[in-house]
Amino acid sequence: MNQKKIFYLTVVFWLLIFSGFILYKEYTLRTGTEVLLKTEPVDPRDLFRGDYVTLNYEISTLNLGEIPAEDPYFEYNDRIYLALEIENGYGVPKKIYKNPPDDELYIKGTVKELIYDWEEDKEGLIAEEPRIKELRIEYGIESYFVPEGRGREIESQQWTGREGVDVKVVVDKFGNAVIKSLLIDGKEVEI
Amino acid sequence: MFDEDLIQKWLDEGTINHAQAEKMRADLAECKKEHRSKRQVIAFSTIGAILIGIGAILFVASNWEKIGNTFKVLLLVGSTIGIHYAGYHFKYENQKYPRLGSALILLSALFFGASLFLIAQIYNINANNSTLVLIWIIGVFPLIYGYMSTPIAGLCSLLFYLWIGLLYTERTDLEKLISMKDLYLLSGITVYFTGVLHGFTEKVKHAEKTFKFMGLQAVLIALFVHTFKLWEYKVEIIVPVIYAISGILLLAVLLAKPLREKSRSFQADVSISIIALLMASITLTTIYVPESYISAPEKVYMIIFNVIFLGLLTLLLYAGYNMEDIGIVSTAMFWFILLIFARYFDFFWELLPRSLFFMLGGLVLLVISIVLERKRRELKVQFSGGEQ
Repeated sequence: MNQKKIFYLTVVFWLLIFSGFILYKEYTLRTGTEVLLKTEPVDPRDLFRGDYVTLNYEISTLNLGEIPAEDPYFEYNDRIYLALEIENGYGVPKKIYKNPPDDELYIKGTVKELIYDWEEDKEGLIAEEPRIKELRIEYGIESYFVPEGRGREIESQQWTGREGVDVKVVVDKFGNAVIKSLLIDGKEVEI
Repeated sequence: MFDEDLIQKWLDEGTINHAQAEKMRADLAECKKEHRSKRQVIAFSTIGAILIGIGAILFVASNWEKIGNTFKVLLLVGSTIGIHYAGYHFKYENQKYPRLGSALILLSALFFGASLFLIAQIYNINANNSTLVLIWIIGVFPLIYGYMSTPIAGLCSLLFYLWIGLLYTERTDLEKLISMKDLYLLSGITVYFTGVLHGFTEKVKHAEKTFKFMGLQAVLIALFVHTFKLWEYKVEIIVPVIYAISGILLLAVLLAKPLREKSRSFQADVSISIIALLMASITLTTIYVPESYISAPEKVYMIIFNVIFLGLLTLLLYAGYNMEDIGIVSTAMFWFILLIFARYFDFFWELLPRSLFFMLGGLVLLVISIVLERKRRELKVQFSGGEQ
């Protein structure tokens, strides 16, 4: 193969990667359903992409006592599909599935931590098999990037903990989610 | 290459006359000058490319709000393609600036990563995502072979280590399987092995040295970390198995006769396979010999790893000297100084008053550096036949 062909192949290959990446996310943004999710932000820094806000959603921790699960046995790194019900624009967890449910709005996540619960007898011994109490889930939407230096500024000025911080997320029919905007007290944050 | 001594010998023997000797001396001087100048051009253009690449990554990191996302993507992707074309043009079409062309191709590979991270930033893809680094590797890896690019082989090795690190922090279940230092030691052995395999085929031989260098550095860093008395050393059974497989594989490849004849750095290659096999036996010991059987296990493992590290450095020095490879000799010497420095801190920090500790340490290091530098210079002169 001559160098000219290699040059063209490289350019096509790179453009395919860039456009594939963009199309994948744009598909979700353009075809998905808008859902609001409640969060608590903190501000670290990414290796290559500067300042970002770490978003910890209410649906990041799923209490199995409150949310029904299709199958109560989970393992680390299991894929889950959380069915959401929309109440006043907010996505509220309805049921946890191990396979994508039919005809329901759901968001795809991965189990990152299992929190167990068990009962002890009078002598402090575990009386029964520990059962899973809560799941820590990652949805791939836990970072929100802001201009360099603005993360801490926004946090100190506006996010005092009293205001409601929500994230507008778009979820497509395959459960993929993309962050659309950040809202403080219902207003979109201008960055 | 022949040197001054050889020309004098031929002259004394009457093999060549004075005019021929003069011509040879002039050509030799010209050739050395040309070689030095080429190396300077490569160094400057590569450093320049890396600096611009870092600038592009920092541009992404600053997330400058004054430019819209679409424009930013077009700017960075356009620059990536443009720089890549410029590199291709200078190296293959114009052919007048092949070294600059190579540096620009490296720069385009850095820009490719920056563009990727910019798109990820726009769509708020999770921070420190290992998959992005993997896509970066996949995107630029073919260039090692397409353009015979050694700097991209180096970049891919670095990205591979970065990917391993990010994956390790993402997948907390990996912590139960293997420690970070063992993972990097194995990664280093793998990259070194990749270099060995490249050495056997003429078409990809250009990447051999880079992969071996990058692999060797990771092996040395990971082993160096092992030499500290920091943690208890316990592993899962999978670790000795992987060490054993990689050591046996490397040794099998090296000992196969047709391949052995092709290997230019047989002794250094064997040293790495010995390290892998040694690590397999040590890690196996940590599993099957309970720590209660060994008094002060942390200290014992620390001594073992110090001996192994010193042994590897000695083997590398021997291999570098035999192969007349100043790169290997310099690497071994550098790590030797670092080891002495670390152990000096370990043993004397508590024993000596601070002022005496630093003065004595500085003095010891100065003496060692003078001795090693002199030795290195002698070897360099010897290897290159007179060139300093």
